[in-house]
Amino acid sequence: MSEKPTKEKTADLGDLLAEPRVGQLPAVTRGPIPVVQALTVGANQQTPAVGQRVTRLDIRTHVTGSTRYIDDLAFPGMLHVKILRSTQAHARILSIDTTAARAMPGVVATLTGDEIPENSFGSSYQDQPVLAVDRVRHQGDGLVAIAAETEQQASDALAAVKVTYEPLPALFDPLEAIRPDAPKIHRDNNVYASKVIIRGDVEKGFAESDQIFERRYRTQMIEHVPMEPFAAIALWEPDGQLHVYSSNGRITLGRADLARTLQMPMNRIRVTATFIGGNFGGKNEIRTEPILALLAKKTRQPVKATFNREDEFIASTTRHPIIMDYKTGVADDGHLIARSVRLVLDGGAYASWSETTVGKAAILAAGPYRIPNVHVEGHAVYTNKTVTGAMRGFGAPQVAFAYESQMDEIANTLGMDPLAIRLLNGFSEGSISHTGQVLQAVALEETLLTAAKRSGWMEEGT
Amino acid sequence: MHQVEMMVNGQVRRAEVPAETTLLSVLRETWGLTGSKLGCDVGDCGACTVLVDGLSVNACLLLAVQVDGQEVLTIEGMGGFDYLHPIQAAFERLSSIQCGFCAPGIVISAKALIDKNPHPTEQEIREALAGNLCRCTGYTKIIEGIAEACRAPAITDGISVTESGHV
Repeated sequence: MSEKPTKEKTADLGDLLAEPRVGQLPAVTRGPIPVVQALTVGANQQTPAVGQRVTRLDIRTHVTGSTRYIDDLAFPGMLHVKILRSTQAHARILSIDTTAARAMPGVVATLTGDEIPENSFGSSYQDQPVLAVDRVRHQGDGLVAIAAETEQQASDALAAVKVTYEPLPALFDPLEAIRPDAPKIHRDNNVYASKVIIRGDVEKGFAESDQIFERRYRTQMIEHVPMEPFAAIALWEPDGQLHVYSSNGRITLGRADLARTLQMPMNRIRVTATFIGGNFGGKNEIRTEPILALLAKKTRQPVKATFNREDEFIASTTRHPIIMDYKTGVADDGHLIARSVRLVLDGGAYASWSETTVGKAAILAAGPYRIPNVHVEGHAVYTNKTVTGAMRGFGAPQVAFAYESQMDEIANTLGMDPLAIRLLNGFSEGSISHTGQVLQAVALEETLLTAAKRSGWMEEGT
Repeated sequence: MHQVEMMVNGQVRRAEVPAETTLLSVLRETWGLTGSKLGCDVGDCGACTVLVDGLSVNACLLLAVQVDGQEVLTIEGMGGFDYLHPIQAAFERLSSIQCGFCAPGIVISAKALIDKNPHPTEQEIREALAGNLCRCTGYTKIIEGIAEACRAPAITDGISVTESGHV
């Protein structure tokens, strides 16, 4: 790749006077944004990009505040949408009355779930209503969307909507939700996704072990808290195409979900993404897009919805809390012989990406250790809580907390160095994973030793 | 409705706004200065940080009418695509920023610091960023970037931000 000749801009006072750019220092001489060289990597070779300092291609607009995120876009005549959310964790909806709200200043239109052609979506199962119609399953469920001339008017009008509920028993603990007599949140079973991994004979392994360690570990619900709250805009192009601008990180799936919920062909829908102000897994599904599309159609105006921070906490997804029961059998010399794990994932009110999460958590649950006998089962369970879905690692950080905590406990009880027990049992080149994969390019030992060295673990007196 | 007039990035701006209009809202929606971001709307995240008469403030917590007659500096007054402030140039060199949403507020907070203290310690940089959240970077490269900017000739040669930086 050849470098283009560039005209460099240098600082002088004339520049400063010519352009009224107040509040600046004299210019820093800058060339063009560097172009990342194409790198060719041979088979089984480490990419030479590792360790290189490269300049991000998008950083200059970021540092000058000129990057346009969805909420920075506006269209002529654009209306603002706010969504009324359930005050109940679990309830039957007896009535929704929007009459008074429609008469509020600035309100142009309202939308309820019964106006949505196919009122359901979801990544694994389509079990989540875009707007709840007959039942709410957690406090973040949307009920009514209001389009008004200003955001303030839309917010004010939410208070004028009258909703009556008949409360239902709500479940907040997944261990209660898996009991056979627990109230059902969707269909006839609150367990909606499971994964089982079996290797060797775990009971035989426990019988052969010198010591057994058993403990329950729990992790908490975590919200991604992206700096940019979710935002989307919908408008109808003159030729009848739907154009949605969205801070959705998976616009192709978003387009499919729009086609399904609106019951219109996908080739009539265009989804434009711009930069995303932090995703971390929390912007991997549609949130408001079908609502906006329908309100834009009703009003014949572009409509925008930007989540406020509260919407972001209660109406996006979160990381699954997992209750993790670990039982590990070890020989007195520190070798792991058997491990059984039961994972109960708090799946929240709807499935979202739980199926992926329970799968990955189960696959990784026994840890990167050679254990001849393994039994893992993971279950995602509906509760009346905030929806849990994709978040960096899809279940991996939760199980890492559990198995590494237990490794420390084992080392401590056996009087072993925590590093030594990991080196003794850790995967190495050619190890077979708990799901039967022969592992290549395994750098666990090297990584552990480097970390130990750099952290001073092996130094005297530490 | 209320009339407001303020000097924004060296330019006089006027608007007629309802009393509840925040400074952030008038900047973004009325004047199209969308560099300052709405992250939390309660003064926690600092994505809306601007300077008002040289002091860093959360534009989401101030009403536009409270800033009437004052001088405001936003990220738009700090540099352009081919014309970077030393803080911005250092951030670019070190790739201090990832998604970019917090960057406008952080650049402004860093400027507020350097205006008063051109040679801050690392601890002083950390304290100056106490009101700015970032969810991508872990802050390390941002702190290094500000420290590097303070070593830039433009600042050490006395062409300081305080002299040229005020509107």
